[in-house]
Amino acid sequence: MKITLQNLTKIFPGRKKGEKEVRAVDDMNIEIPSGKLVGLLGPSGCGKSTTLFMLSGLESPTSGKILFDEQDVTTLAAEKRGIGLVFQNYALYPHMTVEQNIRFPLDNMRIKKDEGNARALDAARLVQIEDLLQRKPNELSGGQQQRVAIARALVKMPNVLLLDEPLSNLDARLRLQTREEIKRIQRETGITTVFVTHDQEEAMSICDIMVVMKLGIVQQIGEPQGIYDDPNNLFVANFLGTPPINIFKGKVEGGKIYIGDEAILETDVADQEVYVGIRPEGFIYEPNNRIRTNVLTLNVDHVEVMGRDKSVVSTHESSTKPTVRCIIDSDVALPKDADKLRFKLKPNKVFLFNAETEERIR
Amino acid sequence: MAKNKFRNKSAKEVEADLVLNEDQVATPTLSRGERFRRGVRSQSGWLFVAPALILMLIFTFYPIVAAFINAFKQDYNGITGYYDGWGFSNFVHVVKGDKNSGGADFVQCLVNTLVFTFVSVPVSTILALLISVALNSIKKVQKAYQTILFLPYLTNALAMGAVFATFFTVIGTKSNTDTVGIINLILGLRNNPIKWTDKVESPVWELFNGRLNIPWAKYIVLMVYEVWSGLPFKILILFSALQSINKQYYDAAKVDGASRWTTLWRITTPMVSPQITYLLVTGIMGGMKQYSAVVGIFGEQMGLNYDMGTMVGYIYKYIEGDKTGLAFAGSLILFVIIMVITFINNRITKKHTTYR
Repeated sequence: MKITLQNLTKIFPGRKKGEKEVRAVDDMNIEIPSGKLVGLLGPSGCGKSTTLFMLSGLESPTSGKILFDEQDVTTLAAEKRGIGLVFQNYALYPHMTVEQNIRFPLDNMRIKKDEGNARALDAARLVQIEDLLQRKPNELSGGQQQRVAIARALVKMPNVLLLDEPLSNLDARLRLQTREEIKRIQRETGITTVFVTHDQEEAMSICDIMVVMKLGIVQQIGEPQGIYDDPNNLFVANFLGTPPINIFKGKVEGGKIYIGDEAILETDVADQEVYVGIRPEGFIYEPNNRIRTNVLTLNVDHVEVMGRDKSVVSTHESSTKPTVRCIIDSDVALPKDADKLRFKLKPNKVFLFNAETEERIR
Repeated sequence: MAKNKFRNKSAKEVEADLVLNEDQVATPTLSRGERFRRGVRSQSGWLFVAPALILMLIFTFYPIVAAFINAFKQDYNGITGYYDGWGFSNFVHVVKGDKNSGGADFVQCLVNTLVFTFVSVPVSTILALLISVALNSIKKVQKAYQTILFLPYLTNALAMGAVFATFFTVIGTKSNTDTVGIINLILGLRNNPIKWTDKVESPVWELFNGRLNIPWAKYIVLMVYEVWSGLPFKILILFSALQSINKQYYDAAKVDGASRWTTLWRITTPMVSPQITYLLVTGIMGGMKQYSAVVGIFGEQMGLNYDMGTMVGYIYKYIEGDKTGLAFAGSLILFVIIMVITFINNRITKKHTTYR
């Protein structure tokens, strides 16, 4: 089912008189194609969960519209929207067995017992918990509870599946496994799925479409790789990628990008002050000392070896962060005990941002 | 040499003893029996428990044992101390009753008590649950409602009984009525009022050829009172339990399409089932010992010749005088009944208290 959000806005009034209202979601416009897995990504307080709850119908928007396909569901009650919702801490009913939990939505739909049992079992099979049906939630591990919650959301065959921070309560290993699982379940069922996360790695790894938000405002929408390779602004560039992008204060002068005194790349951008963002993987070690143009010199602090590649941790006076990280192939031999290393830069890994607006200069 | 050896050994032994003692004090792995024996042998221990123990011996254990023994003294007279050997005659008298001699009828009291308890306790618990849910769902003036609902708890039972009596009382004769009471007015019975609390004229169902009388009008008065006076405490307990339920369960239920009724019955009630159990168990125990409210509304005679009598009322009637044996036997029967009910309660609630 296609989901369209038109000028969606949610304002929470100030709690006391004189307290400022909070714009949790501000004039949001997105269109989510049918059958896709969509991630709402952003730091805490960016309005992603509020958006999800507005989609679910538990929270009503201050203004704007929500359309499922062509139907306006803005004022439709949660139970009539045909959505499945998985809560952050699962909200499994503690007094019911797994089976009763999964069956609960079906009971409310007055589905016959036989059919209900069959559907509950199907849902349980899909998330691979068919052996646990007679247990109570407190007898399950976090990952199993998560699966039960997903089964409960899926059993009513919803048009839209909503997941609120689905992986935040799981340990690191289980998180990896579960996110594959969510991807698999989404593919198998083909249900349009929206999930909320603050973990960019999680979002990038499983999303078809990613929506990056900040302070209630959508920053960028697109395929994860597309956003990573072509960020709209400094915030998006900074939020995506581990280790994060390196940011330098620089300038463009006479068709060249300068960081400090060094001209690092040529460009056709007009002369101005800029932020230069360089992805950690955008550095190429330049062993030749005599080359003085189009290189960036970094004061090396130390080198971290990580097997597949190594990470050069260094400093630079123009960097806006305390350290600059470059990731280079572990095969590249670096001189030992060097104070300074020089790097060529991959032009597609270098982004320029307006120093005032922090918008991307393309 | 031998002497030296001996001395050495004994020193080691002492040391070993010391170590052993320390171990024994430190390790909590002693068997229960061993711990008990140590406790009993400890003199300072006895000193610590003495104040409580002495009071309990005098005021709890002695009366229990005495009641138990006296219940089996035949024709025991509390004033003269005379009794006619040992046996079950007290119990026989209690069950057969001596209504014709103008006394209270135990079977009547037992039936009354059971009906009062098993109607008023469940009804007031269900009402309290509904009121708590309603209270929990409003936001404005919630505190004010809470206070109003809790006020009866602070009021004296006898005073409340007296006020209730005036609601129901009809004063005057049929032709010259001073008041018919507010309840009759509400029911539209101004001209032909039900004499709710009247000793003699209150309507009665006679069952088993008059062996058992159900003064239904008085029953209604008492049970309305019981339900009402039981509400505040139950609301207090249930309301605080409701407030501690995570709101997300309700969100989940909403998304799952649960109706209000389903939510109440399948989400809320199981979540507060421990509190409901507690209220039912303590309510039933309290109900079996009902006394003061009946006296408050119907006077010391508990209606007409104890037709509204309760088991405690029965016991109290015979506690002094020449039929003390009946009081002892009655209290023993009450004790056994409460024990049996509590046992059944435990059995049922263990099965059905589904959460925590």
